[in-house]
Amino acid sequence: MTDPDEVPVPVPVPEARPQPSDHRAGPAFWVSAVLGWVVIGVGLRGIFDHSLDTRPANLAKFVVGGALLHDLIVAPLVILAAVALARAVPGRFRGIVQAALAVTGLLAVFSYPLVRAYGLAANNPTSLPHNYALNLTVVLGAVWAVAAAALILRLRKPA
Amino acid sequence: MRIPSLDRLPPSFRRLTTDSDLPLRQAAYQSPLRDERLAAYLGASLAILFSVCFVTGLYSHLQQNPQSWLPIPARPAGLYRFSQGLHVAAGIASVPVLIAKLWLIWPRFVALPPVKRASHLVERIGLFPLVGGGIFMAFSGVANIAQWYPWRFSFTASHFWMAWVTMGAIVAHVGAKWAISRRALTRPSRRPPLADADPVLGTVAEPVGAERTGLSRRGLLGTVAAASGLLNLTTIGQTFRPLRRLALLAPRDPARGPQGYPVNRGAANAGVLDLARSPDFRLAVGGRVATPLSLDHAQLLALPAHDTRLPIACVEGWSYSAGWQGVRVRDLLAMAGADPDRTIMIESLEPNGVYRTSTLNPGQAADRDTMLATHLDGEILDIDHGFPCRLIAPNRPGVLQTKWVTKVTVL
Repeated sequence: MTDPDEVPVPVPVPEARPQPSDHRAGPAFWVSAVLGWVVIGVGLRGIFDHSLDTRPANLAKFVVGGALLHDLIVAPLVILAAVALARAVPGRFRGIVQAALAVTGLLAVFSYPLVRAYGLAANNPTSLPHNYALNLTVVLGAVWAVAAAALILRLRKPA
Repeated sequence: MRIPSLDRLPPSFRRLTTDSDLPLRQAAYQSPLRDERLAAYLGASLAILFSVCFVTGLYSHLQQNPQSWLPIPARPAGLYRFSQGLHVAAGIASVPVLIAKLWLIWPRFVALPPVKRASHLVERIGLFPLVGGGIFMAFSGVANIAQWYPWRFSFTASHFWMAWVTMGAIVAHVGAKWAISRRALTRPSRRPPLADADPVLGTVAEPVGAERTGLSRRGLLGTVAAASGLLNLTTIGQTFRPLRRLALLAPRDPARGPQGYPVNRGAANAGVLDLARSPDFRLAVGGRVATPLSLDHAQLLALPAHDTRLPIACVEGWSYSAGWQGVRVRDLLAMAGADPDRTIMIESLEPNGVYRTSTLNPGQAADRDTMLATHLDGEILDIDHGFPCRLIAPNRPGVLQTKWVTKVTVL
């Protein structure tokens, strides 16, 4: 607002109670659903047309298994961990700890196959050339150093 | 509207389920981060990152499965290096965004009743290819760059066809979420608590006086961006040389290996150690030519040499640029009296393997820098880099830069 004397206007209600019309699917919904399912069909047809390469049964195990692993195990565990964290860490420090833990988890998941050296090729010294356990520790050390610095700054600031 | 049987559920259990028509933040899921605007930001970012991966992935697929109606141009020389580096970088960046988005919308997963109307059923069925495909694309891509194959299917074929499934699901989902995302992204971000706007809904969806602590919405976006950025900062040096020292989590070091460069498949694993060093080695130029050629290593070295600097770009996202010396393919073809408008097949000494042959379309074969290299940075090629000679051409995936070349056939 540029004019200080202007009478404050009530902010329009942004998230009113959902009306039935909010949930009625319009033409955009159906057009994109048809278009999307045609493209999905292209993919499914490709999978079955090349079943010697794609091994649909084995592939399905990974696609369905990945989704179930996330939705039934990973996500609930993250929620439980977050509840525990909320009880253990005071509110003003919580955000920093949450961020550092999230980054730590993502880095660990990404680095897991490297640290375990599953892909290490025999007779090829250029495959997986680093000490990934050490390197992951270094990167996580940097993440937590930043988090510690942020916590100290937060501590010095009056609540 | 309540379905009677749901009311009979114990209240503690019902608090864990949600109503799909209410905002994300409801029942037991009270984090202020479960917010439509944030979901829209993450969803839009994910759609963009996956689209980048899809387009660059199609290009890589076309490179490896050449189509006569859409010949791959020989130039710009570094195009494949750029597009594949982008493919891997965008894929890596999408991992934190995907995980955050899935966390954010998880209350929708436990919606009761699961389906409310026909369009809702269609939308929810589309979540199987969306979530399953999204997780699969990220997981299989990350595993592949680490060369980890805990499955029995072919990575390239499955990653390619599942990309269509996932992209189709994204198209359907974007359509389903278009209105709500647009509203969430265009509305003013500073807004009164929901309880002020609608007391009834507010107490259901967002209890009054909920303490606002922990990560803020901006903080979550920042965390996701930091995680994506950090993953890329610690890997991108495998293709972007100035950041090589920071590439602590990259599966290759672009400056470590025989003659200072990495390889994907060495001579021992390709089974060519003896064949490549044998005095019987010959490079044959045949097929539709006027004068078939058969050259031993000394004769090959005596041909007019060409010098150039070209990148090798692996499909797995690492690359390096090096100086190559050797004989141009177009010079060899001219010596053999071949028609310049032909497709060329390059064959390796490798006894088997998917990549023992590759083809050059007429434009690629005629390029001034397409050659059979005998030297790398002025030294005789190491056997792991393809001694006695290997194909080097501009704008080409590393797996098609055929090593240990023994036969050039004009088709």
